[in-house]
Amino acid sequence: MSAQGMASPITVPRARPAWLESFVGQLLALLASFGIALLIGSLLILAYGENPIEVYRSIFDASLGSADGLGYVFAIATPLIFSALAVSVCFKGGMFNIGVEGQYLVAMIAAAVAELNLDFLPGFLLVPAVLLAAMFGGMIWAAIPAVLKVKRGAHEVVTTIMLNAIALSLVGWALNGPLKYNDAPEGAFVDLRSNVFPDKGLVGDLGSVFGVTPGAHLSWLVFLAIAAAIIVWFLIRRTRLGYEARAVGSSPGSAKAGGVSIGSTQIRLFLISGALAGLIGMQQILADRGYLPLNYVPLLGFLGIGVAFLGQNNPIGIIFAAILWGILSRGEVALQISSQVPREFIIILQGVLILTVVIIYQIARRRLAARQLQQAGMAGELGDSDAPEESAGPRGPEDTGAEALEPVEEKRI
Amino acid sequence: MPFTDIAVAVQISFTYFTVFYLTGLGGLFSERSGIVNIGLEGLMIVGTVTGAFGVRFFTDTVGLGSVWGPILGLLFGALCGAIFAGVHAVATITFRVDHIVSGVVINLVAIGLARFLSSAFFNGQSTQSDPGGPHLARLDIPGLSALPGGLDRAFEGLSPMVIVAALMVIPVWYSLNRLRWGLRLRSCGENPEATRSLGVSVPLYRYQGVLLSGAFAGLSGAFLAAEIIGNWREGQTLGLGFIALAALIISNWNPIRLMFFAWLFGFAFAIPLRLQDAPVISLLPEQFIRMIPYIVTIVAIAGFVGRVRPPAAAGRAYEGAGGS
Repeated sequence: MSAQGMASPITVPRARPAWLESFVGQLLALLASFGIALLIGSLLILAYGENPIEVYRSIFDASLGSADGLGYVFAIATPLIFSALAVSVCFKGGMFNIGVEGQYLVAMIAAAVAELNLDFLPGFLLVPAVLLAAMFGGMIWAAIPAVLKVKRGAHEVVTTIMLNAIALSLVGWALNGPLKYNDAPEGAFVDLRSNVFPDKGLVGDLGSVFGVTPGAHLSWLVFLAIAAAIIVWFLIRRTRLGYEARAVGSSPGSAKAGGVSIGSTQIRLFLISGALAGLIGMQQILADRGYLPLNYVPLLGFLGIGVAFLGQNNPIGIIFAAILWGILSRGEVALQISSQVPREFIIILQGVLILTVVIIYQIARRRLAARQLQQAGMAGELGDSDAPEESAGPRGPEDTGAEALEPVEEKRI
Repeated sequence: MPFTDIAVAVQISFTYFTVFYLTGLGGLFSERSGIVNIGLEGLMIVGTVTGAFGVRFFTDTVGLGSVWGPILGLLFGALCGAIFAGVHAVATITFRVDHIVSGVVINLVAIGLARFLSSAFFNGQSTQSDPGGPHLARLDIPGLSALPGGLDRAFEGLSPMVIVAALMVIPVWYSLNRLRWGLRLRSCGENPEATRSLGVSVPLYRYQGVLLSGAFAGLSGAFLAAEIIGNWREGQTLGLGFIALAALIISNWNPIRLMFFAWLFGFAFAIPLRLQDAPVISLLPEQFIRMIPYIVTIVAIAGFVGRVRPPAAAGRAYEGAGGS
């Protein structure tokens, strides 16, 4: 990030290096968002007649206060990282994949089909095969809105929402028809589900290594999620596709003029997004349940949108945002035990946090863009004079640098 | 009676028409003023929970009776929708957040907000209220409800809100096409810079457009929960707000054409409820029949979208006087 800032052809007097300015700006924006969200949360807690500090402390204790708590937090964060990455990949290309929800439902069906039909494979082949099947399922479901967008101009927000509803019915059909269990004893009352997957096809429990209760269902999928974040970071920052995606996302016109095929870039991004979405459900069916249930945890795809915004669509930011989300979600349990505040308070707090992050980053970004424009104008005037070297002097009057952010528009190209 | 099922399906399509048309009109006001609003679904969600609470509160708690109670309850849903839309307005107009980002956040926050409000309204029940809430007396349409051969069923037992929604086309069309207010609102969505040069405050009109969209979507949600289903349930909107948005796009942001497409999508929703035994359809598994309305929407949007023209400035940030 710093290299790009430095490489700018216009050298403007700066009190601090660009990377520091950007870092300080990001940190301040984040702290401001947090402060406002916690403040609004405190007001709500006070309205319930409780002490905000005690409520926040109980949330903290339940999530970060013990090994078990941490295990739960990371287990909750695992699918959310995949989900938010899926959202962010499309977002980099200026598209909104609201269909992550449907893509992971279809992927869970594909994974269940693979589990139950490839059970002749040894475990070290079966699990990767299942993960690939899930990614493939997600890609198929993501390809539909991508093609409709590129070929017909149908906006992906509408088509993906419709495909979510269709995927919901598809799971219902699969579990009532081809995938319906037949391994339960006659007359036993079992919730609608698929057959139980073979043990060798499940991902192992990681909790025992760190002394976390098996109830948390922490699995090595959390490492896969972090690896996926790093891969996505590399893809967006260091590959041709990533460059094209950022070009299409920030200025389709210039991207086209620069020889980028917009349609092909959009389709490829959607396919990658779908593949990532495919891994969302794996924590649930391979680490937690061991079968495909009808009462799976819904809305993981939608929560991913919130986590992606919280992490500012940065793959590394997403990891931390997902962990934060996990901390808050784990806090619901604490609220139920130790206070009169209803557990829905957490959902409100999460919503307020997303809103403040989105708005405050927007404000910060605009301030920086305005400042840069000013500085560029100043540098231009200096450049007209005979000695451009003079501009290295500490001149900038507005250069306080405190609330500055590196503008996303510039980072994208 | 071969026609009875079709007639009942048409009757159901009228109720769904009401949902889509009211929500679609909400989107119309917002987008005509230049603010893209994909938060319609979230605004509807807020309308469902507050409307379901409102009709009970005004009918039973306040004791206003079975006419004014439901009416005020529905209006309460509209009011709460408008208040929640204020968040979208502040984010997009004042802080110039990307319209789609803000709309997505609205939808996301609405799910949590609905649970929160629900547990406050309904004794800690966070995902539904007690069924069988009060609703307006059902109407038979005079004349049409006397049709022979079972066709009368289509025009019997309708909620008065269906008529209200259908008649809404007159004031909406008139205000947008004949009133100074509507022409200014539309010009904010087409060319805000030119509008400003005429001395019109673009943010003022855009705020009105977005708040109106919240009121309409909230009313629609309240109608869905209180009038059709009788209670609030989490997830009862299931994408209906987005279907209304699709209807709005296909109708080219025109309130008269929107009537037709709102009804068409409404009929698609009636198929899984009433026509599951019709020829061809009966061969499909139940879950596939339930997909029909969503597939119809996708096909319609993919087929029509190239032929429509959105308001020119919709989705674009307006920098206002002096920029920043």
